[in-house]
Amino acid sequence: MTFPRMLPPMEGVADPRTLIPARTSSRRAQAALEQGIKAFFGGNALVAVIVLALITIFLFREGFGFFGQNLANLRLYRQAGLEYVDIIRGVSAKHEALSRSLSEIRLREVRTMEKRNAPVEEINAALAPFDQFATAFSDTAENLHGIVSDLTDQASALKEALFARAELLAQRNQLEHSAAQAAAAKIIVPEVDRTAALASLREGSANFESVSAEMTAQLYSLLAQAPPLPDPAAQKAFEQWKTRTREYLAGLPAASEKLRTWSPDAPIPWYRSISSFLFGREWVTASFWQDWYGIIPLLVGSILVSIVALIIAVPLGVASAVYVSEIASSHEKRLIKPYIEFISAIPSVVLGFFGIAVVGQAVRTASQSSFFKWVSFFPISERLNIFTAGCLLALMAVPTIFTLSEDALRNVPRGFKEASYALGANRLQTIGRVLVPASLSGIVSAVLLGLGRVIGETMVVLLCAGNRIAIPDFTQGLGSIFQPVHTMTGIIAQEMGEVVRGSTHYRALFMVGLVLFTITLGINYLAQKFVTRYRMSIG
Amino acid sequence: MIAIASNSRRVRRIEGVIFWLLRLATYFILACATYIFLDIGIKGSRTVFTSTPPFINLPFLTEPPQTLYVFAYEGKKMTLSDRQFRQWKVEHAGTEVEASSIAYSAGGIWPCIVGTALLVIGSMALALGIGISSAIYLSEYSRNGRLIRLVRIAILNLAGVPSIVFGLFGFGLFVIFFGWNVSLIAGWFTLGLMVLPAIITASEESLRAVPQGLREGSLALGASKWQTIRKNVLPYAMPGILTSSILGIARVAGETAPIMFTAAYAMKDEMPWQVAHWTDFFFQGVMALPYHIYVVSSKIPQNEYTERVQYGSAFVFLFLVMLIALTSIVLRERSRSRLSW
Repeated sequence: MTFPRMLPPMEGVADPRTLIPARTSSRRAQAALEQGIKAFFGGNALVAVIVLALITIFLFREGFGFFGQNLANLRLYRQAGLEYVDIIRGVSAKHEALSRSLSEIRLREVRTMEKRNAPVEEINAALAPFDQFATAFSDTAENLHGIVSDLTDQASALKEALFARAELLAQRNQLEHSAAQAAAAKIIVPEVDRTAALASLREGSANFESVSAEMTAQLYSLLAQAPPLPDPAAQKAFEQWKTRTREYLAGLPAASEKLRTWSPDAPIPWYRSISSFLFGREWVTASFWQDWYGIIPLLVGSILVSIVALIIAVPLGVASAVYVSEIASSHEKRLIKPYIEFISAIPSVVLGFFGIAVVGQAVRTASQSSFFKWVSFFPISERLNIFTAGCLLALMAVPTIFTLSEDALRNVPRGFKEASYALGANRLQTIGRVLVPASLSGIVSAVLLGLGRVIGETMVVLLCAGNRIAIPDFTQGLGSIFQPVHTMTGIIAQEMGEVVRGSTHYRALFMVGLVLFTITLGINYLAQKFVTRYRMSIG
Repeated sequence: MIAIASNSRRVRRIEGVIFWLLRLATYFILACATYIFLDIGIKGSRTVFTSTPPFINLPFLTEPPQTLYVFAYEGKKMTLSDRQFRQWKVEHAGTEVEASSIAYSAGGIWPCIVGTALLVIGSMALALGIGISSAIYLSEYSRNGRLIRLVRIAILNLAGVPSIVFGLFGFGLFVIFFGWNVSLIAGWFTLGLMVLPAIITASEESLRAVPQGLREGSLALGASKWQTIRKNVLPYAMPGILTSSILGIARVAGETAPIMFTAAYAMKDEMPWQVAHWTDFFFQGVMALPYHIYVVSSKIPQNEYTERVQYGSAFVFLFLVMLIALTSIVLRERSRSRLSW
């Protein structure tokens, strides 16, 4: 190795000392500073990681406390005899439901008559025997309702007494633990005579059997003289109703049997607390009777809204991605891409407001128009429903799906396309047979991330989904997407502000949050899996 | 030969139809978005702009919200704000009118704008400080071990967690556990933590996009690690970091769910700086524009009297957020064309 000759030999080259620096104090200070800077950044990173880990831990801590409290809640439900009363209540509620479907049948009959332009008097006259029948039917349950309302008062009094006692006991225990024996002794825990109260409950329901027997006899004779209906469709529904009533009557002895075998001291296994949350079909809070925390209605609501949103957003998003990456001219591309990305910045609360102010009304007006007369479930009654929320959420999912799908399509190696053209394929064949399959896993992950965005969205569903905590009536087929629902995100936003800290309700909302957290993490994980697979398949 | 020609013509026609369908889908999306912008823009500008100079409805932007009173007087329909109505009553002492009141529908949205600005400034300061430092550490200092990879995956996944879950966490930890109540500082922390994962991920990505050669060159010339980062990495990563932070601002400003039970009040009479003691500043709830829109669109009826404030606030909010988002998009396009290695 020779030194380049171009440079003249230099005189007075710097001291060799500078090349191997001495350990001067400034050097040491420099090193310390470097260490300090590194520690600063490291510390920040540590803070970020710790805080983000804390979020997860805190969510779990608050959420898991739910199960213990819910178990106590369920035990109290049995011990205070609420469960017992609910058996009878179930019987009377079924009766009411039958009564309601009678009036639905009447409504249908009236509608068909109105279509024939029959005057009101004529309709009423034609339906008079039916009305009489309906009134007689609802009268048969008078005694049953009487029993239920008596027992309800008794059972809730017992529940309150037991609850108050448990509170006092807990207070005393706490004082004893903190060594305040004197104060603990001062707390007098009243004894609750549970056996007596439960015995009186049983006494109150003693005549249930006679009442139900009487009702059965009355109903059979009523059914025998049921009036016919002029409209064949209504008559068919009425026949179905009769079968249902007979089934109901046949089920009455089973209810009495259940009452007889019911025991207030039968143990409730620990897993009931978890299963009643995960598979519970009722979410009832702040009720005087019994709170139920079942996530199913909320989960179903969230899923239905997301499905509707994806059904709309996936074709639109993928189609526009294909269009922009393969077909559009370059200046079209320059305009469309930022514009669709721009859509993702629309705040969700503005979209929700737009849904209330414009879309909901538009959906209802459209359903009332004569153009859609052939659709059986139109016109719809609620303007805020799954469909309204789904449409708006679709607009939120489209930018995500579009951007990521377009990325995936653009990243397909050029050679794929060129090879396809070289084999004589046209543009459509190249797109359909080569480009889309090659980027399929990228597109799937885009759809998954869109789903993640939709399922976690709060304001749009809170404002536009109708907020009725009920599982939609699936017997209506496609019409069920025009019913209002409540969602997991919506329920947290709506009820969090008014719960008491540490109560079962508070913890139940944390559990809902945890379920949401788990679902979105799962979706994210899947999406990443698909992206890696896609990178591998393209190579 | 003829058969092939007619077949290819058919194929071409199918191709044309499908391409048109794709074009239709694309323009349908654009049309929907444009309709939203126009609807809110047109109806909102009736509130925000006036036909007389200064052409901007200053009272709407500078006054607090008030209750609107609607009543009939001498055959005329009167709509007066709370203050005007009290004054009117003094002037017309003795006349009894039956006024129906509609909350929030008179006055303006000034406290909401201020509250949103305060929330955004505080939470972004928090998130950017911690976020960019963490990104620098992760991309420049940390060794690529298994732990760091795990941390990175965890952060990436947390970026996709719904904002309501962060709201739930903020409510449980800051509002209740720390006892800060509904306050500005609880909102700062909640919103800051919400955007933190996104900011770390995006910043780290732009730091890693800087070619390794720039670092090696600088180190080879004898620069220290920090000098390298400051002079040779950060300047090139800055456009990317800036874009992601501006997007973060748009997200923080636009979110409602996390603040609705950590920081936002539906109605508050004092402005944020009207506090007895300076520490109270941090522990007070504020009105915020997104929450105000939620309140006026769900808690009061939809009619001719409420439309003014509903569309007006939606317009102002949409305008502000869109402006922020537009800045970031323009910035990104510009930096994309300028920086290429």
